[in-house]
Amino acid sequence: MPDPAPDLPEAASRRFASGAFTSGLTVPDFAACLQMGLEPVGYVQGFCVMQWGWYGINSPYRRGLTPYGGGQGGYMESWQCPHGFVSAEHRSWGQNYQQSWVENAWGQGFGSAYSRMLEEAVALGAHGVVGVVDTSNRLGDLGVLEFHVRGTAVKVDDAPGPPGGQPWTTYLAGQRLAKLIEAGYMPVSVAAAVSSVRVWAYCMTEYLLEGTNSSWGVAQAGAEITQVASAQMAARQIAREHVRSQMAGDSLHGAEMVVSDRELGQGDQEIQCVLRGNRVRRFKDFDPMPVPHPTVRLS
Amino acid sequence: MSIGNRLGSPAGEPIDIKAEMRRAVDSLQSQTHTKDSMTSDLSIDEELNLHSIGWEPVELVCGVSLFSVPMGVWNWGQGEITWASAAYAHAFEGAIARIHRECAKAGGHGVVGVQVERSIHRHHIDVTLLGTAVRPVGAKRVQADQVFVSDLSARDFTLLQVSGWQPLGLAVGASFVYAPRRSIGMAMQQKSQNVELTNFTEAMYAARESAMERMQASALSMAGTGVVEVKVTEGPMDFARHAVGFAAWGTVVRLAGDTHRTLQPSMVVPLDDPSAAFEATALRGK
Repeated sequence: MPDPAPDLPEAASRRFASGAFTSGLTVPDFAACLQMGLEPVGYVQGFCVMQWGWYGINSPYRRGLTPYGGGQGGYMESWQCPHGFVSAEHRSWGQNYQQSWVENAWGQGFGSAYSRMLEEAVALGAHGVVGVVDTSNRLGDLGVLEFHVRGTAVKVDDAPGPPGGQPWTTYLAGQRLAKLIEAGYMPVSVAAAVSSVRVWAYCMTEYLLEGTNSSWGVAQAGAEITQVASAQMAARQIAREHVRSQMAGDSLHGAEMVVSDRELGQGDQEIQCVLRGNRVRRFKDFDPMPVPHPTVRLS
Repeated sequence: MSIGNRLGSPAGEPIDIKAEMRRAVDSLQSQTHTKDSMTSDLSIDEELNLHSIGWEPVELVCGVSLFSVPMGVWNWGQGEITWASAAYAHAFEGAIARIHRECAKAGGHGVVGVQVERSIHRHHIDVTLLGTAVRPVGAKRVQADQVFVSDLSARDFTLLQVSGWQPLGLAVGASFVYAPRRSIGMAMQQKSQNVELTNFTEAMYAARESAMERMQASALSMAGTGVVEVKVTEGPMDFARHAVGFAAWGTVVRLAGDTHRTLQPSMVVPLDDPSAAFEATALRGK
């Protein structure tokens, strides 16, 4: 067994050396893994607790100071009020922008938990980690997020060590993994990314979200709320681009997209999109299966 | 397990899955990457189904639209709440137009497995569509107005194609109707009775007819012959309990050839007894 990673907890090292294996696999998945020549060697986990502040140094939380500031690179769109100057309270401009510092903090939290899980897998001499599950939970109401990534480390019978000493990982296990292999795809790693888009509503968006008409007849209720629709589209597209940037020419399979909105004020909101899936690489030529034969179950 | 004799091998000749796994693991040692990178939310079963009819996934695509509902339209009135019905239709149109553009930009010919999310708020109606753009293997790009959007799963899309049919798009119809007020006398009279509230029943029928008619009109505008997998939702809104809404949507289809191809499915008796899954309740005979 290779030496454990230097920052692996001492208790974990002792536990790994105990001889009995642990696994998060169901019995059918366990049986399927054995049939594929995958030997479970340990249930590996990584944690990371992250905090980031909304009003931090990189947070352009400065409505009213500048209409076109706040850009940290990446997506940004601005909207100009059609009414001219009305009052200091009037939302004379609006903006959607990518909150890259939120994305970076999420990436750091997920990445740390993921690499800690891999450290444990390496310590067990594993070739890969199957059946990966990742969760992120808010701890209290403190703006603190806990990342937890875990899976079952496996060894491949008589195989050389993984390239670069880095085990491959996948959300799949058991029969689904077997079908992926049969279909000619090898899992490379799990891929996950978040996008965060902030919406500062301008007057028209505010009117439309409240269902009111502009006093000047410029905004008529019963129209598309383009600023929010644009932000919703951008959040999904940015998450997709983030994951694509991790692909290095490979493909994303079995993706799952989860979008959440958070109202921060009247018309103002934050949209967060998490996209995760399996990065896979084709290892044999495409060979389509015959057209499936339909069946009727008599159960 | 049934995985040993299906893919890429002559019928009856089992695949050595252990050898395939070793081959796959060894492939990671070389740094050869393919150029045809794709993203997809399809399961491996769905992707294999697609491949079996010569189609492939291209990109995960989405479409979102929010449409405003003016203040006051939910206040008690009579007949259809036309602003709300129109907002619902416009929100779908906007989301469909955006997912069409994303699909065409990615080189897809259509979108399958579309998840339809809709939420009705007092002052806006939101629609989100998310699915995987697909195309025949190696096919050229098409214009945004030529792609189809379907909420059928990849498996059902495959079955549809094999049967000689093709999806054309999503048909949607919705209607929101005020439930007429009961007179004070009638309300008092019915207060302690088990009685049908005919005003709500009638409103539901009115909403249903308008919504279904609009969905069918939408299907006809796409030159479709029918709508499959129609989903319906109905009922009052939390913020407007004196009104009912009815919405219906489904995938428009038509025959691709001259006639329907009969599938003639085989009958099978599954042998996967529940007790084989080691469920303690099954072993106890419950």
